[in-house]
Amino acid sequence: MRKLIVLACSAVLVLTGSAIAAPSGVFRQAHEYGFGDKSSLDPSSKGKVFQITEKIMNRLVRPDMNGKPSPDLALSWQPNAETTEWTFRLRSGVKFHNGATFNADDVVYSLNRILDPNSDNPARSTISMITKVEAVDATTVKMTLNAPFADLPLQFTDYRIMMIPNGSGDTIGKTGIGTGPFKVVKFDPAGTTALEANMDYYDGPPGVARMEIIAIPDAQARLQAVLAGQTDMEAGITAQQKIMFADPKKYQIQEVPTGNWRGIVFRADAAPFTDLRVRKALRLAADRQAMLDLVEAGNGVLNCDTPVGPKDQYRADLKCPQDIDQAKKLLAEAGFPNGIDVEVFVATIEPTWPAMVEAYQSQAAAAGIRVKITKVPSDGFWTNVWMKKDVTVTRWNDRPADQGLHEIYGMGSKWNESFYNDKEFNDLIDNARREKDFDKRKALYVKAQERLFESASTLVPYTVTKMVATSARMHNLDAVENFSIRWNKVTVDN
Amino acid sequence: MVRMIPRRLALGAITVFLVSTIIFAGVELLPGDACTAFLQRDAQGKLLDNCRAELGLNRPAVERYVEWASGALTGDLSVSAKGRQPISEIVGIRLRNTLLLASGAAMIGVPLALVFGVWAALRRDRLTDLTISTLAIGFMTVPEFVSATVMILVFSIWLNWLSGIIIISPDAPLIEFIPKIVLPVLVLTFVMTAHILRTVRSSVINTLASDFVQMAVLKGVPYWQVIIRHVLPNALLPVINVVALTIAWLLGGVVVIETVFNYPGLGRLMIDSITDRDLPVTQAIALIIATIYVGVNLAADILAMIVNPRLRTLKARQE
Repeated sequence: MRKLIVLACSAVLVLTGSAIAAPSGVFRQAHEYGFGDKSSLDPSSKGKVFQITEKIMNRLVRPDMNGKPSPDLALSWQPNAETTEWTFRLRSGVKFHNGATFNADDVVYSLNRILDPNSDNPARSTISMITKVEAVDATTVKMTLNAPFADLPLQFTDYRIMMIPNGSGDTIGKTGIGTGPFKVVKFDPAGTTALEANMDYYDGPPGVARMEIIAIPDAQARLQAVLAGQTDMEAGITAQQKIMFADPKKYQIQEVPTGNWRGIVFRADAAPFTDLRVRKALRLAADRQAMLDLVEAGNGVLNCDTPVGPKDQYRADLKCPQDIDQAKKLLAEAGFPNGIDVEVFVATIEPTWPAMVEAYQSQAAAAGIRVKITKVPSDGFWTNVWMKKDVTVTRWNDRPADQGLHEIYGMGSKWNESFYNDKEFNDLIDNARREKDFDKRKALYVKAQERLFESASTLVPYTVTKMVATSARMHNLDAVENFSIRWNKVTVDN
Repeated sequence: MVRMIPRRLALGAITVFLVSTIIFAGVELLPGDACTAFLQRDAQGKLLDNCRAELGLNRPAVERYVEWASGALTGDLSVSAKGRQPISEIVGIRLRNTLLLASGAAMIGVPLALVFGVWAALRRDRLTDLTISTLAIGFMTVPEFVSATVMILVFSIWLNWLSGIIIISPDAPLIEFIPKIVLPVLVLTFVMTAHILRTVRSSVINTLASDFVQMAVLKGVPYWQVIIRHVLPNALLPVINVVALTIAWLLGGVVVIETVFNYPGLGRLMIDSITDRDLPVTQAIALIIATIYVGVNLAADILAMIVNPRLRTLKARQE
């Protein structure tokens, strides 16, 4: 009899399902299995499978649809007058997948684990300004910084800085216990990883009942899987492939402008690129619109050598049309009236690199810049060529303005690939960090980007627009980058 | 004949040894190692040094080879450079999957090739032969990745009959594999059938033209008796070797098919491990494929000798 009642009740539940929106359906997505057996659920490890960690864990602060910091596990935050001390108030009543209640100790543990200088954690540089993290009470955390920093919450939007249970560092790579909308049923990095809806999610039960994250290392095979309806989503569709997804009854294509950029780096510490006039001439010679059209079929946003993406709140609105006369003039002033020879080292890690450099080669020729293209193997490129040879190709993924400016152009930064060293620029970004007022801060970041356009030795012609193909059965996918998507909102038709 | 076997075995061992040396040297010559492949852009300074020290990559190549080779001789294939898992575990399950794919293709392909090959030969230069031969040449010349892609397009994207990409755990029970491997088995079957079929056809045609068959016909032996008692046993002898070679090729050649279909077999593992510069895994797979190649060929030669009385007696006379 009791069984009958349960049955009746569940029948009623199923019937009224649409009203209370119980999770339903299976969402399937491929991952590259790029780190092989080192694939991990540890969100800050090198081998993290981000297609999984982004769905099972939460940050303190998440980027909203416009890239601004918004509450996730932290509800609010407040700095002291000098912005050297920050107090974060946490969401209460949040449960980890293992049933434990999320509290301030978990935050202290998660952050200290990343900050530990002995661990070489890849996410460490993002929050290395934090010198101390302490739990004030169960839902309050206080952080002390080594210098004033007005945009600390922005750093916590980094998708690697997830909150994990206190003391779980040794097991998190296998268990993946977080607070996110989905929890791990079975982690099988070489096969299919199964996730199920977390009914206790703080924002309510998610829309999808089950997720399958499937290892498909071959890019062609991933494409075929989504074409054949075996997976529901594939990011990074090229302009040439877009036509395959033309049938609206089967597929949808979403275009997401990103801050991901490709470029050419001229080492600022190597002659003749030590001369600011040469650097600027090299960049003025580029016809960015033509490059974007040729290389990316126009799928992107023009960029004037700033690492700050088009959707970032601190993006400088610059114009930089090709100017051959000015480039020639600058070269002549710098002592090169007959032009210069440049040897660019190109690999194919990024498939569009060769085309980008070839486009630049023909454009720059008009200014007397004779580009020689030297192809090198993709293997060992990052170790033996990049930051070693005078001129190489590069690429970076989206990162918040402050991070991009500091990490890629900051004096003494490990990732300063162009060995750019400009006092004026460094002062601007350091002052921006200290500035509490948003408008003034923005003005400083904009000035820093203008300074880059005057003096940098990295050509960043465009940022790319990512094309995401999804099955027609998938709905409510936020048209933003992966790390901003609210996965609990996604639904699929059965 | 008995004396030949140890000699062939010794030659086989030398071949396998050479293969392992060449593979080791080849992977060493590639720029980058397991650590730069894993760390990518982070491969510098302390992180890189730590990683190399952990995997023992900072030792001289010769030393590492000798250590690996002496381990392999005792059956210890060492551990994967990436996951520190015993290689026999990783490779074993993948070998099983590849054998499933290969035996599926062989079980359909070999009988098919024999029947159609003989048929084409007997109907030489007529419409049947022309159709069969043209199709065979077509399947031989179209690369597997093209036929595989076309089949996925037709059967899974347009018609939606079969699953295009194989989505399964490497260690799933074999029974779960069967419904999913139809397309890759078909593609493999086409290619191997075409190869064997061509040999069968020409061999049967040659035998039909030989003196003893002419003699039998002139003596008035009935047509089917000539074919079955005299032509086929002689014509199919060289086919044994071709079948063996094809099966050996199947095990190595499935690399492309496995990648296209995302099949968790030895071939895809090989590609993954080369990409990751996981030398121990690459070596182990090369060793297995080389051993199978040598073994299958040896078996075919022995079989051919047992079946063929002329070879048997010839050898006996020489010895």
